[in-house]
Amino acid sequence: MTSLWMWWQGYVTVRLRGPGLERLLNRMAELGFVIQWVERLTTDVIIVRLRVKDFRRLRPLLWGTQVSVSILDKHGAPFWFKRFRLRASLALGLLLSFFFVLYLSNFVWFIEVRGSETLSLETLSSAVQDLGLQAGVARSTIKPREIEAELLKRFPVLAWAQVTVKGVRVEISLTERDGVEPEESGPGHVYAAMDGVVTEVLVLRGTPHVKDGQTVRKGDLLISGEYYDARGRKQYGAAQGVIKARVWYEGIGEGSLVRWEPVHTGRNHRQYAITIGNITIPVGRSYSLETHLKSEKEWQLSLGQAMVPLRFARIDYQEVEYIKVHVPSEEARREALRMAWDNLKKQGVDEDQVREERQQVDFLTDAEGVRVTLQVEVLDDIGQFLTH
Amino acid sequence: MRPARNQIIKKKLARTFDLPPAVLLDQATIHILGDAEAKIVNHKGLVQYTNTCIKARSNQGIIEVVGSDLEITSFSSSEIKISGTIREVMLK
Repeated sequence: MTSLWMWWQGYVTVRLRGPGLERLLNRMAELGFVIQWVERLTTDVIIVRLRVKDFRRLRPLLWGTQVSVSILDKHGAPFWFKRFRLRASLALGLLLSFFFVLYLSNFVWFIEVRGSETLSLETLSSAVQDLGLQAGVARSTIKPREIEAELLKRFPVLAWAQVTVKGVRVEISLTERDGVEPEESGPGHVYAAMDGVVTEVLVLRGTPHVKDGQTVRKGDLLISGEYYDARGRKQYGAAQGVIKARVWYEGIGEGSLVRWEPVHTGRNHRQYAITIGNITIPVGRSYSLETHLKSEKEWQLSLGQAMVPLRFARIDYQEVEYIKVHVPSEEARREALRMAWDNLKKQGVDEDQVREERQQVDFLTDAEGVRVTLQVEVLDDIGQFLTH
Repeated sequence: MRPARNQIIKKKLARTFDLPPAVLLDQATIHILGDAEAKIVNHKGLVQYTNTCIKARSNQGIIEVVGSDLEITSFSSSEIKISGTIREVMLK
């Protein structure tokens, strides 16, 4: 009981060093000091535990003696409360973290897909995202039955789908059908997907509406789905065939005669970022990309096949200054040509199928670049089937 | 001579009225619990304190507690509590 009372009042462990320590203890006892756990270490050193208020009365007793005192430790409720007050921000942080975790548990953080064999994870992921299911959404907004029905509707390959919400994890269990046939297309015509001069007409089903050498515009009817069968009856089905035509494509590329090259100043900065779902929390300052080169290393938390929405990134900024460097015109032209070809390839042009090529090089008005206009002629299937 | 005579009178009084002599005669009391704990009540001051010997003054003389690992667990003007391994308690 005494110990508990001392703890409540607060006490200190002090070391007394010097001659005549017994005399000092007697004097302290006469003055009503509460002295606990007296340990004798050496002939001139003892360790005693004193209440804080008694320790304050101890100093005057030592005046004129050769005894020195030093505090070894502090114990008890007053010191504990003081420490707690100093670490109030830590306690507050812990409390806030607890509530934050509690808040986060209201959202879906993991989506797990099971049983998909032919359907890719990306396709499914994009489909469920359209249906409002993605990492970071509130659990209350998820409607499992609606998602199941919609998945079965969108993917005929699926025989069964089940969506289960388990805490912060959503499990999508799927079963696919065996041997699903591609859907038959309905009746329709083949139209020109682009302008061109027809060079070859091959009709598999339907009635041709163009001949070799004929110039067609985009959207013109090439093969009609209407035809007469062997008995002379008019039929209306899906037109099929190949209409090859000479088609012109144009690609434009520009190359600069001036290049701004970054020169490292030697100053580097680092930033970290934590991404939870769609929320990114940067730790540290961001720097302008006009004056800094940025490199990023990213770590994604992965738990098997689950799509975990927690990412951690380290971003390094290197401060740079840009200096102007002149580029030879031939090099700029080559760069512009490469860009023009890239442009053509994006339009679907196969370099090997090019029959004719025209190139035009112009210097830009500000004299800081060249433009290459590249026109190529290719033989292409221009037919495009459209249903009615 | 006066204190000695006072003591004799107090002793007779205590005997006559059946009063506790420790109270009336201001005598020290020693409690021993096994060989691990001892309590000296009504001492008149600590004389010596080491790990093997603790001496305290009393009206009856010097009380000496001998043993090993001796420690004073609490100390006040009237009472000394001792813990450790106690081998001897003497009044000298």
